[in-house]
Amino acid sequence: MALPTTHVSRARSTSASFRLSILQFLADPQWLIPSMIAPIIFGLVSFELFRSAGPYYLTYAILGAGMMSMWGQTLYGSGWATGQDRTWGTLEPTIQSPTPYLYVVLGRVLWNVVSGLIGGGIVYLVVVAVAGGPPSLPNPVGFVLLFLFVMVSLAAVGVVFAAFYVYTRYAGFIQNIGEFAFYVGTGCMFPVVLLPFWAGPIALIFPPTWALDALRYNSIPGYTGFSWGYSWDLVGAVATTAAYAAVAGSIFHRVERHVLEEGSLDEY
Amino acid sequence: MATERYAVETRGITRVFESRKGFLFREKTRTEALKGVDLAVESGSIFGLLGPNGAGKTTLTKILSTLLIPTGGRAEVLGHDVVAEAEWLRPRIGLVLGGERGLYNRINAKDNLRYFADLYGVPVAERERRIDEVLARVDLSWAAERRVEEYSRGMKQKLHIARGILHRPQILFLDEPTIGLDPKSARETRKLIRSLVGDGVSIFLTTHYMFEAEELCRDIAVLTKGRVVAHDSVPGLRHLVGGDRTLEAESHGFDDREVESLRHLPGVSKVVSEEYGPWLRLTLRVRTSETTPDDVRGALPGHPDLMVRERQTSLEDVYLDLVEEEAA
Amino acid sequence: MASVSRTSEGNHPSFWGTFWTNAVFAPRTTLGFMRVDFVLGTVFVIPMTQMVFFAFVVRLGGGGASEIAYTAIGNAVATVTYSSVFSVCQTTDQEKNQATLEHLLVSPANRLALYMGRGLIPILISFCTVAVGLTYAALFFGVTIVPGTIPTIAVSIILTAFAMVGFGLLLGGVALYLRTSIILGNIFLFVGLLLSGVNFPLSSLPLAFQYAGDALPLTWGIAAIRASIAGDPIGTVSILWFAVVLSALASYGAAIGLWRVFERRALVTGSIARF
Repeated sequence: MALPTTHVSRARSTSASFRLSILQFLADPQWLIPSMIAPIIFGLVSFELFRSAGPYYLTYAILGAGMMSMWGQTLYGSGWATGQDRTWGTLEPTIQSPTPYLYVVLGRVLWNVVSGLIGGGIVYLVVVAVAGGPPSLPNPVGFVLLFLFVMVSLAAVGVVFAAFYVYTRYAGFIQNIGEFAFYVGTGCMFPVVLLPFWAGPIALIFPPTWALDALRYNSIPGYTGFSWGYSWDLVGAVATTAAYAAVAGSIFHRVERHVLEEGSLDEY
Repeated sequence: MATERYAVETRGITRVFESRKGFLFREKTRTEALKGVDLAVESGSIFGLLGPNGAGKTTLTKILSTLLIPTGGRAEVLGHDVVAEAEWLRPRIGLVLGGERGLYNRINAKDNLRYFADLYGVPVAERERRIDEVLARVDLSWAAERRVEEYSRGMKQKLHIARGILHRPQILFLDEPTIGLDPKSARETRKLIRSLVGDGVSIFLTTHYMFEAEELCRDIAVLTKGRVVAHDSVPGLRHLVGGDRTLEAESHGFDDREVESLRHLPGVSKVVSEEYGPWLRLTLRVRTSETTPDDVRGALPGHPDLMVRERQTSLEDVYLDLVEEEAA
Repeated sequence: MASVSRTSEGNHPSFWGTFWTNAVFAPRTTLGFMRVDFVLGTVFVIPMTQMVFFAFVVRLGGGGASEIAYTAIGNAVATVTYSSVFSVCQTTDQEKNQATLEHLLVSPANRLALYMGRGLIPILISFCTVAVGLTYAALFFGVTIVPGTIPTIAVSIILTAFAMVGFGLLLGGVALYLRTSIILGNIFLFVGLLLSGVNFPLSSLPLAFQYAGDALPLTWGIAAIRASIAGDPIGTVSILWFAVVLSALASYGAAIGLWRVFERRALVTGSIARF
């Protein structure tokens, strides 16, 4: 019976995790409700608050609410799934498998990107319906490309944040407490330049801060974001995203080592 | 196939758990779960690890299956270090922790197995066939498409075992594999375990069922309070606790002088008395055939209600002797 | 679960014993949320970050000091959702995950005492959260709180916390039937932001939304606290208090009813064990 085991393909592990996420979602589609309602409400609240502030604030509302929705899906969804692995006792057999847990998380993040895009689309449709027409986009192609890049940058952060859920069973609580701080710090609804000067360096640690600023430069004529402008925003976004992707493997390796030393994998 | 003589070899394994509680996790508590475990388990055999609750069995199983890093000492599985070479070992290890948790309850058994087949790199072309094969081996084919949340505890246990053998490991760690199974399923599981050994798989089994260990295991170790207090074959363990044979004498009461006289019978290594209801039972471990039930009757005159029985010392007797000695 | 007194017919948990055990014991066993450091995080961090977030949104939207103050009060009160609705909902989920819910449901404990008991600590934490939020509002967001209005404000906060915990119990009852109640908690966290007059007056929304908002205890709680801060006559505030109490009683009543219905339903469908 014992035969040599083949090499475990990372791509196959990631796709298995992606598939499992879909199966879990289909088995429990009630999650569709909050993931639809949250973006709709964010969209309506921001539209209401921005209503009297000029033509391009419709774009602000859509971008802001869409981003909050995608933040929720990509960032929290991935970590939440790891927290559920803890609760269900599936974290131990998954970590014990030859697949590094990073690739399992990656599959989940991909699924959350897809569902986040759906959420973003819903925000767009709802706000456009309430506003009575679509926002004017000076550079639609650039908008779409940048939008996709924002998703990539969110995914990079989501992967790293998921490591925190492996590290401790309290990650969910801590993340709940810090939820609005992240929204503030990354400027998902308003430019980070509005924050006090000391908040700037903290915000720049996160790739979406750069990517979102670039997206606003691209979509909102007359936008005043970071003084270095659109091009350097792009450079910063690519560099920070690459940095997150580069350190993700190392972070997961260290976190796995830590929980194996602590013996805390079965705590929930 | 493992070519090493030992499937498992540990030297001085220790494991300390430190947990933090309270405000900002400042309070520390320290528990020493393993206190220097030395073990050698031969390849291609079934090894049994017995011990009371909290003895450290699951901790040792997790260390050997790369799920926990020991605080001290060294452990090798299939000749490879469980910490430094975990990556090499993981595809070759099967682990069955069992219980209600550890499975994706919202999806069916096949999808659970598909997921883990992918994580273990089971060849794509073989995946479906292997899933059908392992489900058939644990008698779950009929429920393959049912959601795991609809499974009974025993069915979940079987699915745990199916997942453990899906990738054809060279060594399988089974933590109380028949717990929660009905007698028929438990018997089939023991049959399955034996057949795996026939396929060349080494088995490391922890159990609370003495008859199961006696039936399956070539070698048995008893772990208590984090230490291995005995490690031998079943006959070797019987010898260790003072004899293959056990004589039991029951009456309404014995005095100290009578108990003492039994200790001096030839070959008697140990006499233990215990009360149950109105009866007092004396249990004698006997090394040789020199002392017979008639000798016991002769040593206990004046007890018209005396009953004396002779039987082979069971693994349960051995286990209780060892655990009680350690506790004393 | 409950403290018991032995009788010739067996063990009968007393009402107050059940209440007290559930007030003190249940949150500690089922909620990591109830760790002191996390409670401090909920009380001191969440109100500040949520208020800062919406204050900047208002500023970007062209709002001035009065709009920022309005939003600050709304969000200070809205953060009550975390410590009331979320925490109470979570109790049910945790009981499911730890397989203790079945034992709870077969216990002879008085259900009213059991559920009310579970609400006690969340009510206290909710009170602290809103009080801290309003202090932030006064210190950093330009909200003026006259010392003479503090007793009225305190009563308004207590009633709001009481009503919101009742609402959490109601959602927790639904969780007996669903796989998880956190979904509902999430929905009402967001719905509150839109329909309860947190960031803008309810009157600026379409009429259907206004009616929906009127059904939420948070709406009346925020209105009562706004009126208290504004120093409205006690007669005006009392009407709002009455509305809060009414919504609280409706929530608790519906919660007990729903728990009974869903207890029976969950036992029939076997959904208790699902999570």
